[in-house]
Amino acid sequence: MKKEIIIKHLGFVLMLNGLFMFISFLISLFLDETSTLPLLYSALLCGIFGVFPLIFVERTENINFNEGLTIVVFGWIITSIAGMLPYIMWGGEFTLINAWFESVSGFTTTGSTILNNIEILPKGLLFWRSSTHWIGGIGIILFVLLILPQAQGSRISIYNTEISSLSKLNFRFKARKIVHVLAIVYISLTLLETTMLTFFGMSFFDAVNHSFATIATGGFSTKNLSIAEFNNLGIEITIMIFMVLSGIHFGLIYGTVMLKKENIFKSSLVKSFIIVMFIGILLVAFKLYLSGYYNWWQSLRYAAFQVISLGSTTGFATQDTANWPIFTQMILIYFTIQCAMTGSTSGGLKFDRVYIFFKSVGKQIKMLKHPKGIFVTKLDDKRIDEKLEQQTLVFVVLYIFTFFMTTFILTALDIDGMTAFSASIATIGNVGPGFQGVSSLGNFANIPDLGKFVLTINMLLGRLEIFNILALIMIKK
Amino acid sequence: MNKTLKIKIFASFMLLIALLAVAGIISIVEYRSLSKSFNMLIQDNYKSIEASKTMLEALEREDSGILLLMLGDWDAGMKIVNYADSVFLLSLKTAKNNLTETNEEIHIKNIENSYSTYKARWKRPIVDTDKQGDISWYKNDIHQLFLTAKISVNELMDLNQTSMYKEASILQEKSERAIMHGIVAIISALVFSILLNFFITKYFVYPISELANSVNNYRDGENKLRSNIKSNDEIKKLETAINDLLQRIVKNNK
Repeated sequence: MKKEIIIKHLGFVLMLNGLFMFISFLISLFLDETSTLPLLYSALLCGIFGVFPLIFVERTENINFNEGLTIVVFGWIITSIAGMLPYIMWGGEFTLINAWFESVSGFTTTGSTILNNIEILPKGLLFWRSSTHWIGGIGIILFVLLILPQAQGSRISIYNTEISSLSKLNFRFKARKIVHVLAIVYISLTLLETTMLTFFGMSFFDAVNHSFATIATGGFSTKNLSIAEFNNLGIEITIMIFMVLSGIHFGLIYGTVMLKKENIFKSSLVKSFIIVMFIGILLVAFKLYLSGYYNWWQSLRYAAFQVISLGSTTGFATQDTANWPIFTQMILIYFTIQCAMTGSTSGGLKFDRVYIFFKSVGKQIKMLKHPKGIFVTKLDDKRIDEKLEQQTLVFVVLYIFTFFMTTFILTALDIDGMTAFSASIATIGNVGPGFQGVSSLGNFANIPDLGKFVLTINMLLGRLEIFNILALIMIKK
Repeated sequence: MNKTLKIKIFASFMLLIALLAVAGIISIVEYRSLSKSFNMLIQDNYKSIEASKTMLEALEREDSGILLLMLGDWDAGMKIVNYADSVFLLSLKTAKNNLTETNEEIHIKNIENSYSTYKARWKRPIVDTDKQGDISWYKNDIHQLFLTAKISVNELMDLNQTSMYKEASILQEKSERAIMHGIVAIISALVFSILLNFFITKYFVYPISELANSVNNYRDGENKLRSNIKSNDEIKKLETAINDLLQRIVKNNK
């Protein structure tokens, strides 16, 4: 593994951060805010460290899979460290651990915050905060669709199941084209949402920030009350549409836009994803209505937003779910665990794995009935091989094990059960809000520092997929 | 572009200089802003607070003078009242020349109005009139005006005090920020040094030892220098030159 190539690419990541820090600096400079110098200094540091390797490292041949994986894992860590700089240099509520938490939460598109008062932040810093989501979102798309497919037949072959023809495109020859198309889809979705939100009455600044957070399935808002602040149905519906879109495999969105065979209308996974979400919305809405919380229309409105928000791993809120009936909270917990689709900007367990998991369970039950029968698990008429099924089961077990371990650690720090459990699943799933102490309109400020650190590890594990971290450790050995 | 060693070294040091220059400039800007805030704290707010305190004291003295006048002691009463009046007007002038807060001018106007109404009462003779010894006149009329004037001065003091506390907390925040900038600069310089060390080892030291090894290998029997230098700089040129030299020696020996 060539260290200099890895350092050079990490430099590119820093330069991208530097660019967004510079834009944030310009906003602060224009508005004469206290975050002007911290943002300028951070941007210059990122620029200097980004350019430095270019002096030495000559133009290199293609990176291999191991180097790619190392770049991505370290890229997320380096970028999170760089992302802290504007926060710690600005001060306020940002202690060292708080800045690290906010930065990791941003880049992993989790959206959990430690801020009690978001609105006190200068606009430049708010823009930087949303930018971390946007950078993290595009990062994961390029990683999943360009780097991982190189590991053919490897442990990460789940990525080849859904849109195989796109995934199997040779990285070396077609990469540039796919990068362009994906970047266009990503930017177009952001622009479209910004326009629609502005049309429905949101200020341009808020619209841009909320679009960044939606398309990246992040969840950082510029308001303390999140989307509830606007109390605007048009805004809520717009955000719901884009949250669902951002939870779908970007390759499929690309396929739909390019009128290809693999598109969102033909995918049984997308169909199931939407149906499950729809059932969830109805269950939550019925319970809210029958328990006398809201009238039928309000129940449907709030249930739809909350289920889509958690089901797409975004984490915006229009109501404080901490006060909702426990049945609705349980459904929302299911969606927090399930997460959205592979190849989207979401993290965590992923709907694809849950789908394969349940199909596999069905197969096992059939086998109990007919022990000598031969059954195959299928997805869109494609056979899912046994190896992938086993890997999925192992992943699910590892995932559950990880969030239970985090829950244990948090409860050891005297955090109550529901807060600890929901914080664990919400961070490993890169969703954002949990319940009780860390509910949809709450924050993570009261979690002890050690707990905050453990939760950031959770976020990184969820973002980078536990298998990738394991793979990297194996490579190192 | 072929980057020679000279360019690489020059560019690295330029970046290091840029890093240090940026850290230095940011520190200077932060400290200037700190001293400006400190100045504001001391000069602007503290001056007005002191002036308000003197005004309050002068009002209290005037009140004592009025009581002496009510007792019929014209000389002693007027002496105190006139002295307190001059002190009050001087402090009011200081406060008027030190308008730093929004709405401070309105507060000054209020003081001027309430004080002139109050002054108009004690300016008229009290000794040898029906007001001498009239405690209900004092209680219901002049004392009320005295309280109004005092309240308006207190309001000005509150405004400046609040602003002073605010400025003090900003000052604290700024100093913390300045410290954090310093820490970030130190850590950045350290990381930069580690990276520079890595690159120097990788691109300067390693190729030279490679070259030395290949010269040794040549001596031990290989017929060509086989080093693994991929860069396109002075070391590569040195390798080519040694190779040419060796080829020429071999040719001459033949």
